[in-house]
Order: sequence, then structure tokens, then C-alpha cells
Amino acid sequence: MKEKKENNKVSTSLFRKRWKKFKSLKRGYYSFLIILTLYLISFILPIFIGRDALIVKYNGEFYFPIFKYQSAESLGQNLQGEANYRLLKKQYQEEGGDNWVFMPIYPYGPNENLLSELEGNPPHPPSSEHWAGTDDRGRDVFARLAYGFNIGLSFSIIVTLFAYFIGISVGGTLGFYGGKIDIFGLRLIEMWSTIPFLYTIIIISSIIQPNFILLTFVLTLFGWIGITYYVRGEFYREKARDYVSAAVSMGAKNKTIIFRHILPNSLTPVISFAPFAIVANIFSLVSLDFLGFGLPPPTPSWGQLMQQGLVNIEYWWLIATPLVSMFLTLLSITFIGEAIREAFDPKVYSRLR
Amino acid sequence: MTTYFLRRFLLIIPTFFGITLITFLILQIVPGGPLEMEIMKIRMGGQTKGSESGSNTGTTQNIPQSAIEELQKFYGFDKPIHQRYLIWIGNLFKFDLGKSYVYSEPVLDVITSRFPVSIYFGLIGFMLTYIVCVPLGVYKAVKNGSTFDFLSSAIVFIGYAIPGFAFGALMLVLFGGGSFWDVFPLGGFRSTDYESLSFTGKITDQIHHTILPVMSYVIGSFATLTILTKNSVIENLSQDYIRTAFSKGLSEKKVIFGHALRNSLIPISTGLGHAVSLVLAGSILIEKVFNINGIGLLSYDSIVQRDYPVVMGILVISSLLLLIGNILSDVLYAIVDPRIRFK
Repeated sequence: MKEKKENNKVSTSLFRKRWKKFKSLKRGYYSFLIILTLYLISFILPIFIGRDALIVKYNGEFYFPIFKYQSAESLGQNLQGEANYRLLKKQYQEEGGDNWVFMPIYPYGPNENLLSELEGNPPHPPSSEHWAGTDDRGRDVFARLAYGFNIGLSFSIIVTLFAYFIGISVGGTLGFYGGKIDIFGLRLIEMWSTIPFLYTIIIISSIIQPNFILLTFVLTLFGWIGITYYVRGEFYREKARDYVSAAVSMGAKNKTIIFRHILPNSLTPVISFAPFAIVANIFSLVSLDFLGFGLPPPTPSWGQLMQQGLVNIEYWWLIATPLVSMFLTLLSITFIGEAIREAFDPKVYSRLR
Repeated sequence: MTTYFLRRFLLIIPTFFGITLITFLILQIVPGGPLEMEIMKIRMGGQTKGSESGSNTGTTQNIPQSAIEELQKFYGFDKPIHQRYLIWIGNLFKFDLGKSYVYSEPVLDVITSRFPVSIYFGLIGFMLTYIVCVPLGVYKAVKNGSTFDFLSSAIVFIGYAIPGFAFGALMLVLFGGGSFWDVFPLGGFRSTDYESLSFTGKITDQIHHTILPVMSYVIGSFATLTILTKNSVIENLSQDYIRTAFSKGLSEKKVIFGHALRNSLIPISTGLGHAVSLVLAGSILIEKVFNINGIGLLSYDSIVQRDYPVVMGILVISSLLLLIGNILSDVLYAIVDPRIRFK
């Protein structure tokens, strides 16, 4: 029992040491804070960006349309179906009176067609109202970019997690047991990894209209291989170390050896590799959306906007704005990855001379 | 060692069968293949004809069973799937990949006719990457921590965070004559009037069409190769043998180029093995953006048009090249680094 406590103490201090090192790498640390904050905010995005009013006061009663559907009639608006809160706000202002509408800071939704409120044909160039213009169906690009951020990042984090789970399990098994399982497994993996991945996904999703779950599944199917090689190599190496022999000679079960001893020691390259895997998955999703084989419309997506922009390059904002968003996101995550890698790397390179 | 590589080459065979089997199954089992598409086309055609003549015969035109059977025979769907696979493999050994549904030409001809374009861009991009990145990486390693190192890292990372095709799209917006400057053509491999141009005109036209796509091709690989070179050199510079070299009085130049560089290039040279894949270097995305008629665009079109023989053909060639490239990399590794012993 005492020994266990000791162990924990050592491992936390190692983690703390790395965390301290990570914090000292300003570029990566601030990127991490920014991405984390933006990602957390993106889960409550309707409060900031959306078409539904947060609070409506009508005839002395309060309504919260962001949580509950309100028909236009029930709020005194002369429209069919759901109320249009931007128009409602204007209407109340013109009426004077006690009624008011409290809108999100950016009062446009990602899937909302704005043609009835805008003059001319879509896409509309950026303006003070629509910061990034509108797309070819008159939907607000800025809102779509913001919602697309959440979807893209969530997607790639989920794919990375699943791929890691499979990769660590398979790689660990191959590396730990070795022998015939290893040879046979490696053959299968080589086969699998030689199949051109983007190509096959396009084949699959050109035939079946993919949804979020299917696309996660397919990308995971092809995403676990790289990490498997890593983990297999690590397990192979760690297995030959003295501490494992010690554990074996003390009569530890395989399960204990794998999960208590080898796994924690072989996770370092895996963890420092994760941000780059996330970058790669965002990249894949954008590419697929761009080719039209990604998430089904009307899901807000960066790749789909760029596809629209490429059809007619005079609509520069349809390419430039998703590109800038993607660039900033990928750059920050790459910085995080660099910092994590450096924090986990015990080697100090100093030039000898 | 020879036996090791011989075994590796023999192992290509089962791996290759596995790959083709998997993709063949995917293509044949999932619905919406060429047969279904053709039947749907006929149904739609029948429907419009029916409504034109005014006879209200119903929503779907029934196709006679004999016609469906004929179509099945044309696409080879009249036999069970394992037979179809065996036939396909049998033909493969005779270098017969079948006939394209769309181009009505042998698949091999369709694919090889696209090789020159893809090789052209692949080769230029490949050479450019190595010529720029290796010296840059070495210089950055020597000047590690300097302003130049920091600035070039920043530029390289910026390039890394922009996907090649997105960069290409941005370049087209800026320089393709949309709302901004009209400097470069919108795409294509050459101008349509290429044949009528003078010799110098041909060269400038070709270069004109090359610059933007090549930039898009190399932008991503710049970061990887530069950082790889830099890290490799730095690691070698902190080895004991460098200290020995300095302490015996060698000049800095000699130490870096004579000792450190040679060892640092080992991990980099292995990438050269994949040069065989240059034939298929065409990226679907970049060729789609620039509308270049290479392998990438062909593979995209063949999927969209359900031209399965071409799809399988590209898969066969690309996976074979990849497998051979893997082995070549290992061979190079063994040649460059005499310490490596494969067994």
C-alpha cells in the first residue's frame, strides 16, 4: 500500500513537470488556452450566434425562444410558422410600447435562408451586418464558419479517440504477444494501410450518403494504422526492459503487466502525436466536404463553402474566410502539438563542440 | 539480407491479393453500381417518354427481363461474385484490366495516357522539395535558435497549416482573374491553343500553367521535410563523435559537411524510395482545383461515373507501386546506413 502511494507521487510529479514545461512554452500554451476556450464556447454557440432570440417580453410575459419553439402568432407577428425574431425586434421598436426582444450578439443562424431580408442575388459580399457575407443560398457565412468549427473539431477529436483506442489495443497486443500473432497481424495491417484511404472513402461515400456517424466510422477504419505501428514498437521495446522482467518474476499477471507497467510507459509518443492526428482529421473532413463526399447538407462545413467559392472565384470570401479559419485552427493545434512534444521529450539537444 | 528482401518481395503477392479482394468486394457489394445506375437511367428515360406521348402508364416504366439480363451480362454481373473476382484476377495476369465503361478503351490505355501529366507535376514538386528543404533544414540546424531559424520555422509552419488544395484555391482567387489580379490561368495543363504556339510561346505557356499547381503540391511537404532534416542534423550535432571531430581540430565546415551531414541524411534518403509512386503523384484535390487532367482527376471522375474497371485499375497500380516503394525505401536504408541489418 505504501509502495503504491509512493508510485503515485512520482507519477504526478512527472506529469506536473511536463505540465510546467508545457506552460513555459508560451506559443503552445496560449494556443491551447485559445482553442480550448473557443471550443467550449462553441457548445453554447446559440447564445452568441443564432436566429432565436434569447428573451422576448410580450404583453407582460417573458418567453425564451432559444429553448422553446414559439409560433409567430403567439408573439403578435403576422407570419406563418416560427417567429422571425429580427423582424419582431424591429416591429416592437416601431410599435413603441413595453415589448422587447433580446437577440444573440450575432443574430443569424447557420442554416437560415436570408434571401427574404437581403437585396440582390446571393452570395452577398461581406458587410457590417454579415461579417463574412452570405453563401450561394443566402445563408450567413460567419455563422456557418462558427458552427462548422464545432462540428469539425468534435469530429476530428472523436475520430482520433476511436482510432487511438483501436490502435493502442491492436498495437499493444501485437507488440506484447509477438510471434505468430505479430507476423499475421502485421500482414493484415500492411494490406489495410496500402489501400488508398481518401480514394476508398470517396468510393464509399459516393455510394452511400454519409452522415456524421458513418463518416466517423469510416475515417476511424483508416485512421488507426499509424498509431498501431507506434504502440507496437513501444510495447516491443518496453517488454524487454528490466522492470517488466521484475514484474514477471514477481508473478504478475499479463493483465497487470500490460495495463500497470507497460502501457503508461509507452503512451508518451502516442500523446505527443495526438494533436497532429487531430490536424490530419480536420484536413480529411475538409477535403471530403470540398469534394462533396463529406457530411450531408445543410451541415455547416468549411470544405463545402470552399467548393462554392471555387465554382465562381469572384466570390472570394467563400474561399478566403474558411481558409483563414482553418489556417488559424490548424496552426494553433500544430503549436500545441509542438509544445506537447517538447514537454514530453526528456532529451536536451545541446550542440557539442 | 538478400533473402530478407526476397521474402519481402514474395510477401507482396498475398498482400496484393488481399487489397484487391477488399476493394473488389466493396465495389461489388454496395448498391448504386453501374448496373443500377444504367437501369435507373432507362427508367427515367421511359418515364419522360411516357408523359410526352400523353399516355398515363404509371410512374415507373418496367424494363423487360431480357434487357436487364443483357445489361447484367455487359457489366459482368450475371455471375456470382467469387467468379467475377477470379475472372478479373485471371485477366490481370494477362495485363488486361478490362475496358472502361465511359471511354470504351482498355483501362490500361486510359490510365497510362494520364501518366505524363502526373509525372510532370510529381517530378517537379518532388525535386523542388528536396532541393529547397534539405539545405534549408541543415542551415536551420546550424543556426538553431537564431532569428532566421525562427522566421523560417514560422513560414514553414504557416505552409503546413494550409492544405495544398485550399492554398491553390486561394491563389486562383487572388491571381486567377476573379475580383483581383489576372496573372495566371484558371487551370488546365496547357492552353487550348498550345499546338499553334511558337517554341518559346509553348515554354512560357507551360510554365505559366505550372507555377500555381506546383506551389500547391509542395506547400505541405516543405514543412515535414525541412523539420525532419533540421531535427536529424541537430540530433547528430549533439553526438559524441562530433565533439571528437572538433577536438581533433577539424574546421566547422568539415565537421558539419563531412561528419554530421552524412549521418543526418540517412532518414531523409529513405523517402526517396517512394519516388516510384511519382507516376501516380496526382492529388485528387489539387487536380480538381486546377482542372488538370492527370491521374487524380481520372480517379475522381471514374468514381463519380461508376467506371469500376478504371477504379480497380488505378487501385491495382497505386497499391503495387506503394508496396514496391516501401521495399525500395528499406533497400535504400540498408545501402545508406551500413549499420542496418535486416533479417
